[in-house]
Amino acid sequence: MLHCNNKIEYNPENCVGCQLCYKACFIDVIRWDAEKKQPIFKYVDECAHCRYCQAMCKKGCIKVVIDYKGMSYRQSFDMYRAQ
Amino acid sequence: MGQNYEEVRDSADILIVGGGIAGLTAAVAAKEKNPDASVIVVEKQFAGYGGKANKGGGVLQYFDLEHMKPEDFLQYHVHAVGCYLGDQDTMLKYVAMNNEMIDRMEGWGISIPKVKMPTGPMTFMFGIDLDSCIKMTARAKKLGVKIYDKVAISDLLTDNGKIAGAVGYSLLDGKFYIFEAKAVMMATGSQNYRVSEMWSNGRGDGIAAAYRAGAQMRNTEFGNFGQLFRKESFHECVFGENNMYNKLGENVTKNFRRFPESDISATAIREWYEQMSEGKGPIYLHIPQMRGGGGGMMGEGRPYGQAFWSIQGEGEEEMDKDMEVVPGLVGEQSPIRVDGNMAASIPGLFAAGDSCYCGSGAPGAVPAPPGRNRGSGILNAVFAGIVGGESMAEFVKTAEQNKICDEQVAKLKADAYAPLEREEGCTAVDVIDIVQDIMCPCENSIIMSQHRLDICLRKLERAKALVPKMKAKDFHDMCDCHEAEAMVLSCEMHLKAASMRHESRGWFLREDYPQMDNENWLKWIIVQNDNGEMKLTTEDVPIEKYPVQPLKF
Repeated sequence: MLHCNNKIEYNPENCVGCQLCYKACFIDVIRWDAEKKQPIFKYVDECAHCRYCQAMCKKGCIKVVIDYKGMSYRQSFDMYRAQ
Repeated sequence: MGQNYEEVRDSADILIVGGGIAGLTAAVAAKEKNPDASVIVVEKQFAGYGGKANKGGGVLQYFDLEHMKPEDFLQYHVHAVGCYLGDQDTMLKYVAMNNEMIDRMEGWGISIPKVKMPTGPMTFMFGIDLDSCIKMTARAKKLGVKIYDKVAISDLLTDNGKIAGAVGYSLLDGKFYIFEAKAVMMATGSQNYRVSEMWSNGRGDGIAAAYRAGAQMRNTEFGNFGQLFRKESFHECVFGENNMYNKLGENVTKNFRRFPESDISATAIREWYEQMSEGKGPIYLHIPQMRGGGGGMMGEGRPYGQAFWSIQGEGEEEMDKDMEVVPGLVGEQSPIRVDGNMAASIPGLFAAGDSCYCGSGAPGAVPAPPGRNRGSGILNAVFAGIVGGESMAEFVKTAEQNKICDEQVAKLKADAYAPLEREEGCTAVDVIDIVQDIMCPCENSIIMSQHRLDICLRKLERAKALVPKMKAKDFHDMCDCHEAEAMVLSCEMHLKAASMRHESRGWFLREDYPQMDNENWLKWIIVQNDNGEMKLTTEDVPIEKYPVQPLKF
């Protein structure tokens, strides 16, 4: 999905630095800050909202907010719809 | 260009590109067959986490060999799914290995549940947990397999037309990796054009690397899998095609299938267009839709998957006020040509999983798994991984290490970093935008006509012209550029092969050639890089030597 405006909300309060969100991201949206032992949400504009990072976080630190309205099928259905 | 980036060298007998279920299976199978062989797995993200098998429902289709023979399934598949275009020997080998594959998976630490659901007279399905690839990674490491994470392989190294290794770069620090190997396997997944949001995440860069090295591609015109989606939330409606209704309340599924089947067909998508064109749309589903993809099979005994499924669908209810569905492209081009041992056309090159599902010829006229058999993807990848892994284990016993050519390395290094060195140019997204505008309309990719294919080919010229102008701001972006280039290539292979096939067969539908033509088109279309030119040829399916023959009326 291109041109989507998905967001990843992160609350570091309970984060234990397990790196599972970093590993779970299969498209390199999430990187790892070794010093702070925290995820960096570096390429959020490419997030494909699989929500694996959110699912893997046992401490509930991550929430993916999906931009449904920004998604597109890249094809027009209007011409087929009855008026 | 590229000379400033530090080089890292490593070598092994076997180099496997891709740490999803196919690559990991191949690594484990190769080590089990030949413990002396050294094996490296290179994964663009994290081995055990990337790939397709650990997303979706973890559904695994298998065969009830106590009550049916592999030949029975072959009969069904060749007539109903593969439509005579399949390599029946490989399909038969796959079904016959069913019990061995499941036993071996259990031996590798994958939990095989006792709950089994029939999906037809010959097949059952069960759900494996979504951490299966993580377990496979642990197993591979225990056997001595070396794993590189966050390294993207950009090209293959060859010596006089034979494999010598591969090169790539770290997404994290940009170091350039030069791997020397006797055998290289592409387990890099299919091409999905960055369209869909979740399980279909292959971006075709492995396919493109194999193509550039001269490997043959087969069945590139079958990389056009599509699905019905809920219109507003883009939620894939698995099995929805069995329950389609128009706005008059008429069941329209009965127009293209007589009884519920295990997966969608291109005819369901054609039916959507026909109903809409007649003014009978929108099209709705009249069933409570499952969320997460596994239905009643989700949850029990699969805690890892449960964590994932429990949040899937969040927020969608607010989007979809009804069950209106629209068709959308998924992709799944899987064309690297391999034989029954998973050997590609370049000596020393192998492939497994979704990089070569259609290229193996086994499934015939249908896109990559599910390939109209929902849940067949996992076992197909395990099959190709075992066969390919063992083939490589044997191959490296006698093969010599081919020489790495320094000039070739230098050129491929310069090619890889070129987008980073450009100050002016376009972005990867500019290129992918054009490719998506061509491939996403189902009228172009699924229900085709020569007129529209010709327009698409002309549009694609714009994307091709932009490929050498892409610029990147970092190594992640550089990888996006390589993926965009791969998408242009896959799109071109699709359009050209689709233009060539003057018939409709199985999943492949042409409005201008609506009939299956066994007289002229029991042929595979082979695509190959011929000194920079894309060359398409045909090859007869050796139907006369196969057990199942086309029906004659």
